[in-house]
Amino acid sequence: MNPIFTKLKHFWLERTLPGKVALLVLLLLMCMAVFAPLLTTMPHHRSSGPALEPPGWPHIMGTDQLGIDLWAMMVHGARVSLAVGIGTALLAGFGGGLLGMVAGWKGGRIDGFIQRLIDVMLALPDLPSMIIIAAFFGSSLRNIIIVLALFSWSRPARILRAGTLSLKEQPYIKMAAYFGAGTGYILKKHLIPELFPLLIISMIRLASMAIVTEASLAFLGLGDPASRSWGLIIHHAVNFQGIYLTPFWKWWLMFPWLFITLLVTALALLGRDLEGMADPRIRQ
Amino acid sequence: MDKKWQYFLTFFVILTLNFALPRMMPGDPFLYISGDENDLTAHYSRDQLEYYREYYGLDQPITIQYFHYLKDIVLGDLGFSYSHRESVSQLILNRLPWSLLLVVSSMVLSLLVGIFLGSYSAWRRNRWNDSVLYTVVMVLSEIPAFLIGLVLLVVFAATLGWFPLSGAKTHFAFYESLLDQGWDIGSHAVLPVITLTIARTGGIYLMVRNSLSTVLTKDYMRTARAKGLKEYRIRYLHALRNALLPLITRIALQLGGLVGGAVLVENVFAYPGLGTLMTTAVAHRDYPLLQGIFLVTGTSVILANFLADSFYQKLDPRVQQGGRKR
Repeated sequence: MNPIFTKLKHFWLERTLPGKVALLVLLLLMCMAVFAPLLTTMPHHRSSGPALEPPGWPHIMGTDQLGIDLWAMMVHGARVSLAVGIGTALLAGFGGGLLGMVAGWKGGRIDGFIQRLIDVMLALPDLPSMIIIAAFFGSSLRNIIIVLALFSWSRPARILRAGTLSLKEQPYIKMAAYFGAGTGYILKKHLIPELFPLLIISMIRLASMAIVTEASLAFLGLGDPASRSWGLIIHHAVNFQGIYLTPFWKWWLMFPWLFITLLVTALALLGRDLEGMADPRIRQ
Repeated sequence: MDKKWQYFLTFFVILTLNFALPRMMPGDPFLYISGDENDLTAHYSRDQLEYYREYYGLDQPITIQYFHYLKDIVLGDLGFSYSHRESVSQLILNRLPWSLLLVVSSMVLSLLVGIFLGSYSAWRRNRWNDSVLYTVVMVLSEIPAFLIGLVLLVVFAATLGWFPLSGAKTHFAFYESLLDQGWDIGSHAVLPVITLTIARTGGIYLMVRNSLSTVLTKDYMRTARAKGLKEYRIRYLHALRNALLPLITRIALQLGGLVGGAVLVENVFAYPGLGTLMTTAVAHRDYPLLQGIFLVTGTSVILANFLADSFYQKLDPRVQQGGRKR
């Protein structure tokens, strides 16, 4: 059998039940984002029917106050959420991870400096800081991803620094250093491949954090107004005068709520499941 | 480096961020200044702009500006909010009690619930009731607080009508007695407090469960049983007491998240605390107000962390000054 296929099969069989469910949900949502234009015939950025239509045909999830099809916004919103999640995870994961590895490997002053930086970042209250930065610099999707990465690199950095410190004592790595291997070589050849599982797990955490924070900022009205993310739909719905006195919330509020909750819990459960794999102490 | 220095450094970062952000942003802040809510882009004449630049000291070198800024903060002057036409410190002082009410009561509640559930789980570790509880609490704690708040709002306020939809008290209400007033404020606070409690309980539950499970394997637990101590003494005086010690610093570290969560939850329930003040400041581009709130929330989180750290050192003699036990 194809070796990649067997590996995937093992990966699947190793998951616990919540992990399997989470993986399926994530795959489904990813398909939704990738095939967004094929899944809906309605436009997601302009009106295609009467306003505030309840779910039915042709608007299977109803419409919002401008008559925009909600299902179309949902599938395109999946793209925003995934872009934010993946973008932040890659940026903060690799940036922070690299800093952490360099700190752990080099030690001394560089380590001290990076550690102080990590401590300060961990103590900063992140949501208020991000609100103020987003308010000052505007909230395009790119800005949001950069700000999110700036405020979340410290966790992967700390985790990978600790991982590097324990690897550093391994004989084969000491040997490589004795034979004159430079920092770049050791990072590339030993540390990165060895610590990659740790990095992936912390990247899943990062993605989940980023998606939640983007939704939160959008909910507060600080999202990218052009992006139509799930959080922004909730923002518009909640700020609709008297939404709770009307039946509109039953679709306008509920569907974006459902999708954010699904995505975030799926990421969290998968992250927890993988953590159990990397750290047998957590496994029960 | 000493812990104290780390907190001081963080405080300094917040101060500097607060100072630098408005000066780094693109465009000119005065182009946004307006007295009227509906008219956000009032334009000033050249003379007026010059006057404001001078008034705010923007025509001076950056170092002088920084010292002026520090001096004002030491004197408690956080500037003037142009959308509310009131001094920022006064505005914050008016709203702060509401936020504190939410944050403190949900902190206390989530601690009680978290410790209770956590010890319940730890005593029954790996039995079915532990694993069910674990899964439920984990899933609940992963859902962001404002989404939980929306559900509670829709179910208990909009559909069932048990609690008021928004605000912290009934407008223009006339209270017959103090009890009446307390009832009104209490019923408005119930849903936001429950929301924040649900969001926070998960973390505390997990810590208590793990830390108590570790304590249960310690030798002194066996000794306590061998001495024939009563079950409740073993559970509460020996096990739980030792298990709760590491909780203190962790809780303080979570405080930043609690403040952030409160900002969102206040907006769900239109609760008149610092969080809603912050979003109105964002909507009106009221930068002095925004900065003031950021400074106050940031500083209080750092202060709480610092206090918890010093408190922990007093409680646990194994932690020496300067170093941290791992």
